[in-house]
Amino acid sequence: MAKNIGAVTIDSERCKGCNLCVVACPLGVLALKGREVNNRGYHFAYMESPDKCIGCQSCALVCPDACIEVYKCPPTAPPKRGALAVEAERPDQGQALQREEPATETSAQPSNVTLMKGNEALAVAAIRYGADGYFGYPITPQSEVLERLEQEMPWETTGMVVVQAESEVAAINMVYAGASCGKAVFTSTSSPGFSLMQEGMSYMAASEVPALVINVMRGGPGLGTIHPSQADYFQATKGGGHGDYHAIVLAPSSVQEMADFVGLGWDLAFKYRCVSMILADGVIGQMMEKVVLPPQRPRRTDDEIRRQCPWAVTGRKGMRPKNVVTSLELDDDKMEANNLRFQATYRLIEQNETRCELVDTDDCDWLIVAFGSMARISMKAMELARARGIKVGMVRPITLWPFPAEQIRKAAANAKGILVPELDAGQMIEDVKLAVECRLPVEHFGRLGGNVPTPDEILDALTRGFNIA
Amino acid sequence: MNAIIQPQNRVYSRPSLLNDAHMHYCPGCSHGVVHKLVAEVIEDMGVAENAIGVSPVGCAVFAYNYIDIDWLEAAHGRATAMATAVKRLMPDRLVFTYQGDGDFAAIGTCESIHACNRAENIAIIFINNAIYGMTGGQMAPTTLLGQKTATCPYGRRVDLNGYPLSITPLLAQLDGTCYVTRQSVHTPGAVRKAKAAIRKAFDNSIACRGASVVEIVSTCNSGWKMSPEKANQWMVEHMFEKYPLGDLKSND
Ligand SMILES: Cc1ncc(C[n+]2csc(CCOP(=O)(O)OP(=O)(O)O)c2C)c(N)n1
Ligand code: SF4
Ligand code: SF4
Ligand code: SF4
Ligand SMILES: [Mg+2]
Repeated sequence: MAKNIGAVTIDSERCKGCNLCVVACPLGVLALKGREVNNRGYHFAYMESPDKCIGCQSCALVCPDACIEVYKCPPTAPPKRGALAVEAERPDQGQALQREEPATETSAQPSNVTLMKGNEALAVAAIRYGADGYFGYPITPQSEVLERLEQEMPWETTGMVVVQAESEVAAINMVYAGASCGKAVFTSTSSPGFSLMQEGMSYMAASEVPALVINVMRGGPGLGTIHPSQADYFQATKGGGHGDYHAIVLAPSSVQEMADFVGLGWDLAFKYRCVSMILADGVIGQMMEKVVLPPQRPRRTDDEIRRQCPWAVTGRKGMRPKNVVTSLELDDDKMEANNLRFQATYRLIEQNETRCELVDTDDCDWLIVAFGSMARISMKAMELARARGIKVGMVRPITLWPFPAEQIRKAAANAKGILVPELDAGQMIEDVKLAVECRLPVEHFGRLGGNVPTPDEILDALTRGFNIA
Repeated sequence: MNAIIQPQNRVYSRPSLLNDAHMHYCPGCSHGVVHKLVAEVIEDMGVAENAIGVSPVGCAVFAYNYIDIDWLEAAHGRATAMATAVKRLMPDRLVFTYQGDGDFAAIGTCESIHACNRAENIAIIFINNAIYGMTGGQMAPTTLLGQKTATCPYGRRVDLNGYPLSITPLLAQLDGTCYVTRQSVHTPGAVRKAKAAIRKAFDNSIACRGASVVEIVSTCNSGWKMSPEKANQWMVEHMFEKYPLGDLKSND
């Protein structure tokens, strides 16, 4: 007995009887049980000739299931593991950076009034919001977002990361990762790129992570045209990727709203742990306008993120329980529960966050429902109509999802008909018809292929569509 | 015998970061050994609080259930894109991906090459078992000529399926990689070497030296329809010719 120099213990319940330790042992110490099995039915390994063991660890090294502990007398090396090596408390880097809770409203000092393109406003507003990262791939008509970010070099000032990815697929998955870390991250693209991003959109929805995704739409399908379109309405508002999910969809109709919706989008995304989208079109992206920029806010510190997003993947500081961000759940009941939770969040968003602008709806005989650039052109058409004594009002959905159905229903209460001008073949009109439950005529007017109508064309569509003298 | 089994005599035990959960892998699967090594290395480095792993779609999808660190679960092939963002946003963390051959070298080839080429400071553990284990043993980009799988049931043919892809040497040519190596885990000696390689790759990530790739030439005994022992023999006899072990690049 005393001549034994090694021994092993084998966790026979973990063991899967693969026999690899038996083969690896240079001294033939081990064998699999011939008849006996463990609770999972495996013939587990055991020390058949314990006296021969020299404690060489070969069996333990090759064991795929980490079942084996090795003992050696006298030990050649001190036991390495057991208690975890916890790092010495480091001075908290976050603390030095910590600032007063920054203002959240997006009003700004006069010095922040400037003239810029819609796409540039997105970039600058994001830096000022305290964004942590942008990941994108160039595509017209939104490449100015990445270009402006690279010009601004925010990594030198706020520490924001900017990465030109190798594709939209990579970009959206970078956003997915950054969002999973509790960071304020975003991407921007245009229609063909947004199609490639649907994978990430679905995974982010399933993982309940907050992110901002911008689509400055162009005409499709296919490579289509680089000119404005609203034809990604279905894709943006009804899901787009696989599975039951929604993103909040904000539709700016001015450069100011491009800037404002960056902050709003992130605030909503973090509030509901969902993806917010800005769905603009080439008109709004390329248009130059005066914009009041939000004040510069500091980026959140590591500690703030850990506090505000306790679910985020940040590393197990203080050895807190591990955080895992995943979209996978193979237990059907649990996956159903996940889905019910997503749906409950969507109902809450519908209740609290539906936004629209009402223009002259109090006395209107005719209603226009339009968003984005089409709402701007429709405003002019309304003026022309009222000058001719035709009382037209407008509902401009600001959130396309959740859709302002209730507001449209109310605004149409005394109207004789609704015109829905869109830069597509008729997408939002379906939601408008549902909103008024087809109780009054609803007509679509659309230009396709990158064409944008004049106010006269819209007025014409209204008067001819409803036979208004 | 029992006299030796005393805490002070313990020279090897399961790393505590590898938790009690029963791993879903088939008996003898190489994934188990590599999981153990990853857990050991993180523990040896004392960086459990700072480590973030990205698990793949493939048999290792549930790596996050077994190794107790923070994890992200990527879409199929996108792990290196995710790791890119994590490391850029939190440069002081150890960030690594763990991916199979289908994940890394088929659907994720674009992301894999570009993350390496951008010199992202991440470590990549690449499990090359020459098959799609998870989905039931279909042909992988790394499947050998003549090797039978569910989707090349008579053996891989050049005219039908093209050549096996040896991606690691391509990555070694990129300026962005600092360490590219091929290892295996079929013998005690190989396991020790593989562990040293993972340690080096993880050290590189923390020190921000560029991208490190540790390919582990592995077995999938279920997919290959062999016993674990036979699978190891088959790997030595067939895989090592196409995928020879050793360092392909090491910038020290
Ligand atoms: C987009 C997408 N396509 C296909 C699949 C199905 N799928 C899951 S794992 C896998 C291949 C896994 O093979 P590999 O990466 O070699 O991992 P292994 O299981 O061999 O470790 C495939 C095709 C998927 N999950 N997602
Ligand atoms: S190597 Fe591990 S799992 Fe396999 S038989 Fe031995 S103890 Fe059991
Ligand atoms: S420690 Fe070495 S001698 Fe002892 S059982 Fe394991 S392989 Fe055999
Ligand atoms: S199918 Fe292959 S790779 Fe997957 S667990 Fe089984 S042996 Fe391992
Ligand atoms: Mg594989």
